[in-house]
Amino acid sequence: MSIAIAKTPAEEVYADLDNLPDGFDDIRKQAANAVAKSGLPNRRVEEWKWTDLRRIVDQAYPPAIGGDVAAEKLDELSALSPFGNIVGSRIVFVNGVFDETRSQLPKNISISMLASADKVGFSLRDGDVIDALNLAYASDGVIINVAKGVKVEKPVELVFLTAPDQPATITTRNVIRLEEGAELTLLETHAGHNEAYVTNCVTEISIADNATLNRVRLQEDGENAIHLSNTAANLGQEANLRDFTFTIGGQTTRNQGFVTFNGENAALNMSGSYMIAGKQHADTTLVINHAVPACESRELYKCVMDENARGVFQGKVIVARDAQKTDGQQSANALLLSEGAEFDAKPELEIYADDVWCGHGATSGDLDKNQLFYLKARGIPENKAKALLIAAFAAAAFDEIENEDVREAFNELAQGWLQRREV
Amino acid sequence: MADLDTIERVKEIEVDKYKYGFETDIESDLAPKGLSEDVIRFISAKKGEPEWMLEWRLDAYRRWLTMEEPSWAKVDYPKVDFDDLYYYAAPKGFDENGPNSLDEVDPELLRTYEKLGISLKEQEILAGVRRQDEPSKLDDQGLNIPKGAVAVDAVFDSVSVVTTFKKELAKAGVIFCPISEALRDHPDLVKKYLGTVVPVSDNFYATLNSAVFSDGSFVYIPPGVRCPMELSTYFRINEKNTGQFERTLIIADKGSYVSYLEGCTAPMRDENQLHAAVVELVLLEDAEIKYSTVQNWYPGNAEGKGGIYNFVTKRADCRGDNSKVSWTQVETGSAVTWKYPSCILRGDNSSGEFYSIAVSNGRQQIDSGTKMIHLGKNTSSRIISKGISAGKSSNTYRGIVSAHRKATGARNFTQCDSLLIGDKCSAHTVPYIEAKTPTAQFEHEATTSKISDEQLFYCKARGINEEEAVALIVNGFARDVIQQLPMEFMAETQRLIGISLEGSVG
Amino acid sequence: MLEIKNLHAKVASSVEEEGTEILRGISLTVNPGEVHAIMGPNGSGKSTLSYILSGKDGYEVTEGSVTYNGEDLLDKEADERAAAGIFLAFQYPVEIPGVATMQFLKTALNSQRKARGEDELSTPDLMRLVREKSQMLKVKPEMLKRPVNVGFSGGEKKRVEILQMAVLEPTLCILDETDSGLDIDALRVVAEGVNALRSPDRAMIIITHYQRLLDYIVPDKVHVLSKGKIVNSGGKELALELEKDGYAAYEVDAA
Repeated sequence: MSIAIAKTPAEEVYADLDNLPDGFDDIRKQAANAVAKSGLPNRRVEEWKWTDLRRIVDQAYPPAIGGDVAAEKLDELSALSPFGNIVGSRIVFVNGVFDETRSQLPKNISISMLASADKVGFSLRDGDVIDALNLAYASDGVIINVAKGVKVEKPVELVFLTAPDQPATITTRNVIRLEEGAELTLLETHAGHNEAYVTNCVTEISIADNATLNRVRLQEDGENAIHLSNTAANLGQEANLRDFTFTIGGQTTRNQGFVTFNGENAALNMSGSYMIAGKQHADTTLVINHAVPACESRELYKCVMDENARGVFQGKVIVARDAQKTDGQQSANALLLSEGAEFDAKPELEIYADDVWCGHGATSGDLDKNQLFYLKARGIPENKAKALLIAAFAAAAFDEIENEDVREAFNELAQGWLQRREV
Repeated sequence: MADLDTIERVKEIEVDKYKYGFETDIESDLAPKGLSEDVIRFISAKKGEPEWMLEWRLDAYRRWLTMEEPSWAKVDYPKVDFDDLYYYAAPKGFDENGPNSLDEVDPELLRTYEKLGISLKEQEILAGVRRQDEPSKLDDQGLNIPKGAVAVDAVFDSVSVVTTFKKELAKAGVIFCPISEALRDHPDLVKKYLGTVVPVSDNFYATLNSAVFSDGSFVYIPPGVRCPMELSTYFRINEKNTGQFERTLIIADKGSYVSYLEGCTAPMRDENQLHAAVVELVLLEDAEIKYSTVQNWYPGNAEGKGGIYNFVTKRADCRGDNSKVSWTQVETGSAVTWKYPSCILRGDNSSGEFYSIAVSNGRQQIDSGTKMIHLGKNTSSRIISKGISAGKSSNTYRGIVSAHRKATGARNFTQCDSLLIGDKCSAHTVPYIEAKTPTAQFEHEATTSKISDEQLFYCKARGINEEEAVALIVNGFARDVIQQLPMEFMAETQRLIGISLEGSVG
Repeated sequence: MLEIKNLHAKVASSVEEEGTEILRGISLTVNPGEVHAIMGPNGSGKSTLSYILSGKDGYEVTEGSVTYNGEDLLDKEADERAAAGIFLAFQYPVEIPGVATMQFLKTALNSQRKARGEDELSTPDLMRLVREKSQMLKVKPEMLKRPVNVGFSGGEKKRVEILQMAVLEPTLCILDETDSGLDIDALRVVAEGVNALRSPDRAMIIITHYQRLLDYIVPDKVHVLSKGKIVNSGGKELALELEKDGYAAYEVDAA
């Protein structure tokens, strides 16, 4: 369609090149121009069919960097991280700026900050508005490099706290590189205050041969937040990526994942869970690209929607012409707890090789009546029985997380969610 | 390794084993080439239509002019030049009333149907069936129709050549005739239902069809009547550079039942030909329709030259409570297929089924599936789709299952399986699932696999040759769907799957 | 203890047509310490009776009453009935993925205790109790870590049902076709478990198609159910007669 439509206030500020931060000038301008040209996608754009970003970003959120936040507020937001006793180090960003005093940097890992880096080889992902916005406006982020063979013992936590004093877009960009045989567990907490803001966080991951990254994200952004994120990962031979996202917070969440297998016999597990209510909207959109033979991918998403919440899952698995012996399995299950809840799914397979084992499953429904009756027949009251079944449903996703302490922490968060909902 | 060789050979061998590719040498009346309001007036006049029908067509044409061809399907083909087509072709001598009896039909035409294995002579059909059956006697509806007989409406390019058993069916109150005849004899029924399931501007091809449709079948089953025989329409495209735009309308009134079969073939030609049909099914309370298709249009040659573009809109509207519709399709032909037989489950407790086998070989491209739209309470749907791709073909399942807020108790089960033969083809699955009520229980499963070397070896070790083994395994793969077919189509389908893959296995 | 009077019931559903009455006037009194067997052909309403007693949704009582220890039972939710002491051993125990059997037992027991105004049992005390009962029923400890009934064999499922019964100590046990799908060894283990639970203040209703189970769990009374009615009652010898003569006679009489 070539009909010119008036720009929304958000599109106006995003297209204003005067808003661009310093550094990375060429790529920033290129990215901002791409956004100016495409605008924000609406529901007529296939990938955004169920998440109309143009409508969701309903006011101007001028890109912002830093700004004062009361210490008590930051303490309160930091306390939302359940990983306190699990991690050995932590890197904290407040409104998109590295906060040294709240951070304890890890040893044996090369760490630098995007804001002070002079050259990082970024390139623009074609047609991806989250990536373009991020490249244009990223203010800071961490660049982690784990050297060949280094196995980082204690998990490293990244904390992103967002509380701008007026509606704004806070943008961070991280680069995680694992050299051959390296190992790292990365935990992320995203939290923010309850005023409206947009947070856009992109993480570029490259995992060299035989290296392993375990990554777990917890999204507890404020109740009026728009959370946009990208995970773009490349896997080498026999590389391993486990990536889990637990979405509880935010008004609207769009988590995108783009994973490409570049070496044979690599394995991916990309999973997650939503527990959302009110008018929350959570969307996971994945493109898993089996570009080479003999890799394995697993996706498992367990989504709980209460009240008028809406869950979206779009997962595409592409198997290239010569990617024989690919094993790709995908599963998305929704549990709808109330009349107004909704789930939309599009699990997609695009297969060009014949010797593959690929499949997907998707289900949607409410609690199983037979299970409920069985529990009640054993004397468990209805509310408790429901809570037990919902917790078990979510726990099946948490089981994909390797770290037992993290699993435990998430089960407790799920319990807390259920108690707040008085289920 | 021997088994790998088999697969290798799959890719090399020519696909040109189309058995229905002959051409009937017959003179035709053509509308002027291209599309304009005048051509539409020409078609309408040829059919002797009432004024309102002409206006309906012209309205569709004007809307069509503002529309764009859809591009979302996973198919890639040279654009159709809509000005380079004939929108009407009829064997010479067909006036608006058609032939009164078989005696008036050009013997060349009758020979065409004989070659296709379709008998249009009622007496022969009766004799043929009766030999294996009980002696003739009137059934409880007072009809002289033996079990196993099928009434046929034979559509040749833009006109219906003949419709058999019309009189016998009329005794049961069933109307089965070309839609052009229904427009003259039952205008109120047509006017009441035409375009109510697939609205005029539903999509690009449906709108085009609404403007230029020429023939197709009309069926009305009165309340409480179980149609005493299977009805069928056989579509044949013969003329060069001609599009076929048939329109089928089936109305199953309260508590009635009908089983309808549809078959299609075309000659082998180097240029692509367009087939853009619309099928509308209306089901009132407690009605049931079984609609089965064996689509075997010319698929083009191994290099992808020629073949039919099959762009079809088929939809059933379960308006009445407890109504039930079942689509079964066997798609083996056409160069490009774009087809999504759908069910609107409006009535409470209504149910829809979609059973599909889609076989693609050579350079064929299929993008097909279904839509199950749950609107009423306690509605249920079931989708079983088996896609088989071989050669350099591309085979996509695309479907929607959605339950609206008020569709409490909706149920869906979907199983989509793809089988790949050879490493130059592709298989895709694009399902959309939308659940807007917690009481909807949706279950979707999809798998992709290949014929394993072990399976092939096992068959060969039992003395079955490679080609037969592949046909056997594929038929097994598609078994759940084949079983849904009426008896008449079951054996035909199994044979057709074998033939369609013949090029692929030597 | 349990008093069923003229119980009529049908499937409650908007879809089904009216008048598919499954229970057509059942009266039965069960006193503490008694074991009653209810036998009958398929479709006689045996399982429906067990579901109505334990409070499953989807059935409508059209006439009659059921009281338990003087209180109206039909008024109560399924969990309230369980807390009141009623236990149904399911014919087809339900799989509950993600909920460990031990966690399930703890939740069930403490919910019931709470409802009865008793103190909750501590985890160590509960573990001790469950372990002790498990040994008797040959349920391996690692099974208790697995999700409820998921991946259990038929025999394992039934043994865990009886284990639950032993842990929850109900006052009325309803065993629905507990013998179905069991081989002779498994049957013996299950029967021993049930017999160990027989006591003067606990009653049992054993629902079964075959007499086989009654060789191991000897009933005080046997009732024949056919087409939704009790058509004959007697002592344990009645079960043996049925084994010999079948249900044919009753099916004709009851029509």
